[in-house]
Amino acid sequence: MATIEFKRISKKFGDETVIPDMNLKISDGEFVALLGPSGCGKSTTLFMLAGIYLPSGGELLFDDARVNEVEARDRNVGIVFQSYALYPHMTVSKNIAFPLRFQKTPESEIGRRVKEAAELVQVSELLDRRPEQLSGGQQQRVALARALVKNPALLLLDEPLSNLDATLRLAMRTEIKSLQERLRVTTVLVTHDQVEATTMADRIVCMCDGKIEQIGTPEDLYRRPASKFVAGFVGSPPINLFEGTVANGIVEFGDARLEITGDAGSSVAVGLRPEHLYFADSGIPATIVQHEPMGREILYVCETPLGLVRILETAAAASQSIGTSTHFRFETENTLAFDASSEKLIPRVRIRVPEK
Amino acid sequence: MAQNGHGADRNEAQKHWNLLAAKSQRNRRIKDASLFAFLIAASIPIIIPYFWLLTLAFSAGRAGVDTKVLWPSIFILVPAVVLTWIWATIADTRRQAMVGWGAIWSVTIIIYAIFIGPSLHLFNFRFLFNPDFNAAYREIVAAKDNPGFSVTAFPSVWTAFWNSLFIAGASTVVVVFAASLAGYYISRFQYRYRESSLAAMLVLHAFPTTVLLIPIFLVIWKIGLLDTLFGVMLVIVGIELPFAVFIMKGFFDAVPWEIEMSALTDGATRRQAFYKVVLPQVTNGMIAVAVFVFIRGWEEFIFVLTLLTSNVRWTMSLYTFFVTEETNLGVDYGVVSAVGVFYIIPSFVLYTIAQKYLLQMSVGGIKG
Ligand SMILES: Nc1ncnc2c1ncn2[C@@H]1O[C@H](COP(=O)(O)OP(=O)(O)OP(=O)(O)O)[C@@H](O)[C@H]1O
Ligand SMILES: [Mg+2]
Repeated sequence: MATIEFKRISKKFGDETVIPDMNLKISDGEFVALLGPSGCGKSTTLFMLAGIYLPSGGELLFDDARVNEVEARDRNVGIVFQSYALYPHMTVSKNIAFPLRFQKTPESEIGRRVKEAAELVQVSELLDRRPEQLSGGQQQRVALARALVKNPALLLLDEPLSNLDATLRLAMRTEIKSLQERLRVTTVLVTHDQVEATTMADRIVCMCDGKIEQIGTPEDLYRRPASKFVAGFVGSPPINLFEGTVANGIVEFGDARLEITGDAGSSVAVGLRPEHLYFADSGIPATIVQHEPMGREILYVCETPLGLVRILETAAAASQSIGTSTHFRFETENTLAFDASSEKLIPRVRIRVPEK
Repeated sequence: MAQNGHGADRNEAQKHWNLLAAKSQRNRRIKDASLFAFLIAASIPIIIPYFWLLTLAFSAGRAGVDTKVLWPSIFILVPAVVLTWIWATIADTRRQAMVGWGAIWSVTIIIYAIFIGPSLHLFNFRFLFNPDFNAAYREIVAAKDNPGFSVTAFPSVWTAFWNSLFIAGASTVVVVFAASLAGYYISRFQYRYRESSLAAMLVLHAFPTTVLLIPIFLVIWKIGLLDTLFGVMLVIVGIELPFAVFIMKGFFDAVPWEIEMSALTDGATRRQAFYKVVLPQVTNGMIAVAVFVFIRGWEEFIFVLTLLTSNVRWTMSLYTFFVTEETNLGVDYGVVSAVGVFYIIPSFVLYTIAQKYLLQMSVGGIKG
């Protein structure tokens, strides 16, 4: 078990700065997700934690002790790679036992702990197989067992679910989450899937271009996204964002106007989540151009004076066909506004549909 | 009525499909037949000399070139090969083919045993036990009193055998060891001039090594390794190493970076990760390189001829060469053939065992 701290950590590959300046604290037993688009430096961050990459600057602290130069093998870190990285020439049980071989663990105890770890992730029947004889999901479990067998102080997961099919992904999500809750091991999960991050992690670190955009609970990121980027990245289907100019409590988007309260600058980006929009007899006019059934709900894409708008409605509420002209509204408390130039959230600013 | 019409259509359609199926089967047969014909035609120029070698080794007497066995053998074997081929195009299933071939070859072997069997003998292999196998000939030469003609003194063939084995084996060990380490380094680490050093290595392998004969002779002479097996081994290592490194690099490139990093986080040192995790992934490459270097060393002729002088350092290639030389003066084709057979057996065995790995090499190597 360990607390982790990034103090002004930076990472360069040659002349290219991948992570300019990172500050982050992870407390003992916490489950943190690094969320961000491809290439934003999530894996790089993870590999610095593992000791595979040396930070170019700053300090990395485990339990308040500097570990920058400590080698990977001395950090007591378990890692699951995106490709699982099982050793192809070893059986499952040898794979799981591998980390114990370097700890001078007695043979009898190795056997016992391999069995325990295998039971933990339910691969006990597969111990004599080779990795190539396993399905993706089974390989994933074995990789997890190998990472956990040495009781690591820190568990690192690099997109562990991205190679699994949708059903299995759902199952493993729950399983990893409950495993982590049971073992209480400090865990860092890397993912570009916001659903994965929000469902599994206690806290999410949302990254973009090597910079941390926001750190917070899944709830924080959804309700109070710190920037336009986070708002766009978290939430599904994605939020509607419209840029407009502000004057006298009114935002103008070409022909359309909305009322705005609070202290906004001269130009803002308004964020409206599809699930907070609903059809009504009055409000902003909208013509339905597309609808996508999503089970319990239907996602409508509408043409409005604001531009194309995504609206999520329960299937029962209203079945609108393509071409229908209608109106939509939203509740004021769920609206967001971002400064158009800095792209940061403007707090306590709300948007309202003007009353005629 | 409508029903009938429909049925007729169906029959027509079925006939049409049958026709197409028959056509495709015919095409496949023609293709198979042509392929076999091509393979046989292409292998004849290689097979005939080997066949000649084998037959003579087991049948020739002292009396010069002898075709008493060669022709009847051909008469028996060629029809068998042709029949095998014809059967391959006729047989419908694999089982049928196997049974047919079994029958053809059983009959052939029986006929061969009856007609040729009695003429086969192992007399030509006497050189295996008697180093001075040409003693009788020497007497004849002496009797004729040919002044100025000396007969080569042959060492035991086993001396030559062990010498060859040492040269081939030692260069194999050194090349595999060095190429594995170098290939790993080149595959995994960035350093200045990486690309150009790789290109240079390939170029080195592209030049004919024979042009280096004199310089290498001089170098080996200067460092005092002339007429030593060790010197020859060094030369072979030097010549084979660049390409071996290149091939090993290709194999290491195919090993995922993650499993190495995984080993490091699992507690291995860099060296342990290399030996326990990376190296086992490239054993096929090491075997392939080993076989090629071994066979290269086993076959080496020009450099051993140049660098080795005393006859106790003869290798198999020199032994075979001198046996042939002697024979040109009018002796024993039987012994020459028998020595040839003895010489190629290790290569043959090695290729057969390692075939699986050699076939993979083209795959691993191309990735280079
Ligand atoms: N070894 C390296 N050498 C040079 N550049 C690298 C190296 N590793 C990563 N990078 C660069 O650093 C950036 C971040 O890479 P990283 O692998 O951390 O992204 P990521 O967030 O994990 O993306 P993904 O979701 O695609 O895995 C990328 O632009 C990448 O090109
Ligand atoms: Mg990554």
